[in-house]
Order: sequence, then structure tokens, then C-alpha cells
Amino acid sequence: MAEMWISMGPQHPMTHGLWTLKVKVDGETVVDTEPDLGYIHRGVEKICESRDFTQITTYCDRLCYASANTWSHAYIYAAEDLLGVEVPERAEYIRLIAVEIQRIASHLMWLGAYGPDIGNLSVMVWCLREREMMMDLLQELGGSRMHYNFPRIGGVKRDLPHGFALRARHKLKLFLDRIQEYEALFDESTVFLIRSQGVGYAKPEEMINHGVSGPNIRAAGVNHDIRTSHPYSVYSELDWAPAVERSSIKGADCYDRYRIRVEEMRQSANLVLQALDKIPGGAETYHEPGDPKILGKAPTRAPEGTSGSHHFEDSRGESMFYIAGGGEGRGKMPYRVSIRSPMFITIPYASKCMIGYKVADIPAIMGSFDPCIGETDR
Amino acid sequence: MVVVSEKVQQAAAEKLVDALNKMEGVESSVDLRTSGTQNRPIVNALVTPENWRAVAEELKDIHEVDHCSMITGIHWPESNDKTWEVVYHFLRTGIQDPIIVDGLVIPNIVDYSKVKGKEVPLEIQISVNIQDTRTPSVATVQDIWVGADWNEKETWDLVGIDFEGHIGMRRVLNPHESPVGFHPLQKQHKLRYHGFQEMYDDAQGFKRKPVDSSRVK
Repeated sequence: MAEMWISMGPQHPMTHGLWTLKVKVDGETVVDTEPDLGYIHRGVEKICESRDFTQITTYCDRLCYASANTWSHAYIYAAEDLLGVEVPERAEYIRLIAVEIQRIASHLMWLGAYGPDIGNLSVMVWCLREREMMMDLLQELGGSRMHYNFPRIGGVKRDLPHGFALRARHKLKLFLDRIQEYEALFDESTVFLIRSQGVGYAKPEEMINHGVSGPNIRAAGVNHDIRTSHPYSVYSELDWAPAVERSSIKGADCYDRYRIRVEEMRQSANLVLQALDKIPGGAETYHEPGDPKILGKAPTRAPEGTSGSHHFEDSRGESMFYIAGGGEGRGKMPYRVSIRSPMFITIPYASKCMIGYKVADIPAIMGSFDPCIGETDR
Repeated sequence: MVVVSEKVQQAAAEKLVDALNKMEGVESSVDLRTSGTQNRPIVNALVTPENWRAVAEELKDIHEVDHCSMITGIHWPESNDKTWEVVYHFLRTGIQDPIIVDGLVIPNIVDYSKVKGKEVPLEIQISVNIQDTRTPSVATVQDIWVGADWNEKETWDLVGIDFEGHIGMRRVLNPHESPVGFHPLQKQHKLRYHGFQEMYDDAQGFKRKPVDSSRVK
């Protein structure tokens, strides 16, 4: 049969966003693929050049709708590097709590979306139910449900509210119990196992060279985690180790990528519980917004010739910001902001992973890499 | 969790800087960057465009820099020493080959208190300055790090810096039918001019000023 190109997307349930995957098929088998991105390119990098350093935080929140907090924190760390800001330790703990709760919420959103992809609809309702608990916690911190605008250059917007620690401990312990239910729901589902095991192998050595990072690479037994290898925040003071999955010698399949995210959720919950115990000053103390214990002093201008960068472990991999100072208003605005999106690099690689499999496997493979088009297109 | 200590990273960075400085056309130094409460030493190098390809090959083959994080293009029309700049960010991940038992990969948990030599994770930032030209171009590293492939496409698409030898260059974020020579991150395209903010004051582009005639819409 003659080979032909077909377009999946931009509006196809597989895409989890707005992009096109062009697939060359020989009958039912995928022979070649070519991703086509840019449908929701908003020009965030250009917009940032005419906004001051505080205003940019809100734009970074909107890079990814499922994981807003990790993106604004990634930006804040780079901006602090550029401006040379000292951050109080209490603020670092509060940031860690916010980021790790966001990681759970993001992975739950992924798990909830991945279930229907491969024929398990009930899991979506369960995951969104638990995500609601995490959203409630994040709402207490940031004030809104999706775009929190929580971190500030030099610290955080607000301290932990009264009773937050109590509610967070209760909800996270409940969540740790319920993870077991999801695992049972997936691991005992024959349909899920058939569609995810032995499908979409991704080799670790290829992934490193392709720039794939985060849970996708840890699923293949590679211990590469920015939180430990290029340490930031206070991860060094907590007792944990990155989750790394045992995969087969062929690489990580879709099932491994599901396992690693479930493990990461567990780990994030444990990290938050530990941080609530260890936070300097105690989790029940409350400081008014702007107190030097939660917000350090920061300059507003960065002169020309300075630059700041930071690698950050996002829910989907290694995110990164590079900021060159010395823009408009005598350095009040950045000259250039550059964003590394983990999915922008991963989507081309994920598309190559599909070659040799059937067209019906494409949703299972693509979904398992956790694509998010908001950050990909910027 | 034991993380990589600042001291070990500093020593590894100094070692790499010494090796890089021996190469032709490279000026490098150890930069102390901060992240929150901690310091992180990184390798910062300035490479001439002619020598960039040789430096890249040595970085990959000898110094085991295996992960290309990001490539950034910057347009500096008013700067004295450069008009275009390409900034590369690399990571040396220090990943070791995992052990395989009965067809299963046993996860390789690195003990960061014992890492040494080329196993020490390191951040590398490399700038390549290009002089004033209408067609800025630098050698591609697509075949050395495949991760650079889409980064280079993006840099050409948004900033207009071409990569010599890059296979399959095309628009990735802008529409495919964008006019030739339209690269929105070049500085002649302005969002805010004469105190006038296009996004809020003239979202439709009706009151476009003649000053900005170079803008393509």
C-alpha cells in the first residue's frame, strides 16, 4: 500500500492542546512523523521586553495552565540571580511548599487526562477530585485558583495563612492514602496494561542527547534531577531521593512514565510534609506581607551587561530562564528574556518514538510524555 | 538528600576553565551565580564564531558536556562590540551507565558526596558574538547535540540568526507563511514607542505610526 501523510490535529483529542502531528503511514503503521507547533504563540518573550521585572511574573504564570507556580518560580530565581537578591530562608521553604503542591496538581491533571486517552474514563473524575484539594491549598497561598502570582523577587507574596499547616497535613495524608487507589485502578485494568506496556520505548542515551529531561528521563532509570545535581532552594535540607524507575533494557515505555509520575506525587507530598515540620519559625507563625522574614529587599534596575539564568525542575522537565539586563527605562525592563520550555524539546523526540508503532498507539505514546502547549508555544 | 556541594562544583568549573582557556579564541572564567540562598559556580566563556565549532566538538567529546539546554539569540543594534549574540546553555549531567540485571535497568542513584572528575554536574554558558552584518550566521551544533536542533530553529525563526549547516531549517513558532526576513525579536520591531503602547492603545493597528513602517503585520 502506498505511504501517505495524514494530519492529527490541531483539534484532535491526542494533542492535549493545539498543535498538529503530521504522520506518514503505511497502512496502520507509522513510518515518519513531523510535529507542527506555534498555533498559540503569544510572543511572551517579546512582551517581557516592555514590562518591568515584577510585571513579568504574571506572564510566566500563564505559560502553563496546569503548572503555573513552577513557571513563575523558575522566572523569579533567574530574576534574583540577575538582580543579586538575598532570599530569607523562611521564604525558600514557603516556595518549596508551593512548588511541590503544584507538582502534585500538575501530575494529577496529567493522570486525569491520560486515563481517557487510553480508555479509562473514571480515573479522570477521581484525579480531578484530588486535584481540587491541592487547588484549595494553593488558593489559600496565592489567592486564586489557577494563576497565583505567588512568588516575589526576594521572597513570597504572603506567609502561610493561619491553619494552613493543619489543613495541608490533613489533605496530603488523605492524598497519600488515595494514591494507592489510583494505582489499583490502573494496574488492575487490563485495557490500560495492554495499551501502555511495551509501547513507545524511549532510550536513555538518546533522550540525554535530545535534551529530554524530568520525569520522562527518570522513567528510563537515569538519575538526572535539577533539584539535586544543580541544587537550588532548600531541597538539600530535607530527607528524600529523586524517584527513578526500573525500566527494561529497551528503554522506558508508557507504563514506566506513568509509574514515575505516581512516585513523584508521593515524593512531593512527603517533601511538603517535611517542609511544614522544618520551616524556620514554625508553620503556625504568621508574618504580615512585606515582612523581612518572608520578603528580602530587591533592586528594581539591572544595568546593561548583566545577565541572570537559572535551571529549574518543572513538573515536565528542566525549565530555564535567561535574562539579559539593561533594557528600556535605564534597566528597569529586561533587554531580552529567553525561556526554555521542556516540552518544546520533548515533543520532537516523542514524535520520533512513535515510528514503528500503530496509529492507535499515538495517543498512548504522546499522552505519556505529558505535553503542554501553553509553554511550548510561549 | 545529599546534593552537589558548591566546593566540588567550583573545583570542577576551574578545571574546565583551564582546559578551555588553552584553546584558540576562547576567553573563559568561573562565574558565581546565586539561586535563592545558595551560590552556584558556572563556567562562562566567550568564543569567537570561527572557533565555535571546534570548541563545541571538544566540549562534547573530551569534557563530556552531554545536554544542550537552551540557545538564545540576542539582537544588540546599539551595542559597541557586537550586533548579534548567541548564548548557549549546556549542562554536564554526569550520568553514569546504569547496571543491567536480567534485562532490567537498575536505577543508578548517584551519591553526590562522592562524585569527582567528569561526573560532577556543571553548568556552562557560552556566548558567541557576531559583528554587524545583515545576515548573521554561526556554525550549527545540531549534529553534536540533537537537543540543539529545535533550539536553533527557534533562534532563526524569532531572532533571525542563521545556523550554517543546519538541516531542515524552518519556521517553528511563527506562521509558515510569515514574510521572508520577518523575525519579531529583532529590536526594530517595537511594542512600545513614544510612550504609546500598541497592545492597549491600538490593538487593531489602526493608528500605526509612520516611524514604525518597518513593522510587518
